[in-house]
Amino acid sequence: MKDKDTVCEDDTFANIFNLHSKTVFNYIYYKFGNEEKAHDAVQEAFVKLWENCAKVSPAKAKSFVYTVANNLYLNVIKAEKVRLKYADKTLKTTQESPEFLLEEKEFKEKLERALQSLPENQRTTFLLNRIDRKKYAEIAEMEGVTVKAIEKRMHLALKALRAKIDGI
Amino acid sequence: MQENHLSKWIDQELTEAELKEFKASEGYATYEKIKAVSDRLSAPDFDTDQAFAAIRQRTAPVAETKVLSLRPYTRFLKVAAAIVLLISGAYVYLNSLDTHIATQFAENKTITLPDNSNVILNAGSQLSYDEDQWDTERNITLSGEAFFKVAKGKKFTVATDAGTVTVLGTQFNVVQRDGYFKVSCYEGLVSVLIAGEETRLPAGKTLTKIKGTISAASVTKNGKPSWIDKESTFQSVPLRFVLDEFERQHNVEVVTKAIDLDKVYTGTFSNDNTELALKSISIPSQIKFKFEGNKVLFYAQDTP
Repeated sequence: MKDKDTVCEDDTFANIFNLHSKTVFNYIYYKFGNEEKAHDAVQEAFVKLWENCAKVSPAKAKSFVYTVANNLYLNVIKAEKVRLKYADKTLKTTQESPEFLLEEKEFKEKLERALQSLPENQRTTFLLNRIDRKKYAEIAEMEGVTVKAIEKRMHLALKALRAKIDGI
Repeated sequence: MQENHLSKWIDQELTEAELKEFKASEGYATYEKIKAVSDRLSAPDFDTDQAFAAIRQRTAPVAETKVLSLRPYTRFLKVAAAIVLLISGAYVYLNSLDTHIATQFAENKTITLPDNSNVILNAGSQLSYDEDQWDTERNITLSGEAFFKVAKGKKFTVATDAGTVTVLGTQFNVVQRDGYFKVSCYEGLVSVLIAGEETRLPAGKTLTKIKGTISAASVTKNGKPSWIDKESTFQSVPLRFVLDEFERQHNVEVVTKAIDLDKVYTGTFSNDNTELALKSISIPSQIKFKFEGNKVLFYAQDTP
């Protein structure tokens, strides 16, 4: 059984990559706001996974790549501006008024600025949950903390965002 | 309201009552908006296929990458191997060459051989020997004149064009110049082989071969050839050889005019005083000389 299902199998490796590469990319991007570094982190993490494929079981591959990606830039780069896209295609189908659209656009800009000012761990948690639809448990696994800690971060993130947007 | 209610709310984990309470609370409108807007946010584009291809390039074609990176390395190895071969070849070749020692005119050299035998090489002479083979056979090739103090041991051979001298441990002098071959034994016994004929030469004897004529004479036992003491001594030697030796010792060009070069000369001349040497040669031979710069002209006494 262990012979059949190792990360060294091309299919298994490709599977793990397809499942997690995008999130690894986003994870690093949310932390530092640098796309290039996020791309590098993905490469580095999965190349390391491939090199250590004999030692890392498929079950542990996920946390392995997050750890590698995270360690790569640990204390190395400072957060740059996190620029997020706004999926306007969902809006196109709706019949919103131009005023509403403008208001939404303005709100999005406010939100981005507010996100910018968040501590890195709160921003990462918030965006992983909102954009990548990651459960708190999953985020906790990536960050290597308890679910409770992630809930706390999310709570604080929301609170800080609202305060910033409402100018409190 | 329970702890971290905001994260519970966005995760839709609040109870009906809690939700009701939250909706009534201050800031709910903004929270609702944050939720709605952030739902439509997305991260920068990430091309999974492209990223995977990039990783495959770094991982899968390991063998290919290795071949590529090895290529310049093997080329380097080839060059390095060629250089090593050349150097070692040259080293072996040069090492196999005999040790070669030569003296210029007016120069003497003392050579200590590997077995501590001594050779004093007179002016304008050269010798060679194989240092590596010295332990098995003591062979020296000589052209010119040299005095040998041979340490006791295996057969010691001095080969010249005119003949071969073989000894076991002794002191002897060998001269081989154009048409002139002389071996003087000062100690022990030497064997001289000239054209297949062996002559045993005991201490105090000299063997001279001038233009095919072999003659014997005596020298001082346990002595040494006079040139060691910066003098050249001749006993019934044709003048041509004497003048040749003078040329070598003083590095002076000799020109003769109307002189019988076959006339024999017996005497000694200094090797470091040219003026004195000229007199030592000319007076007993009854010839005159003119010494100018680096040239000396010998001419018959009765020539005008």
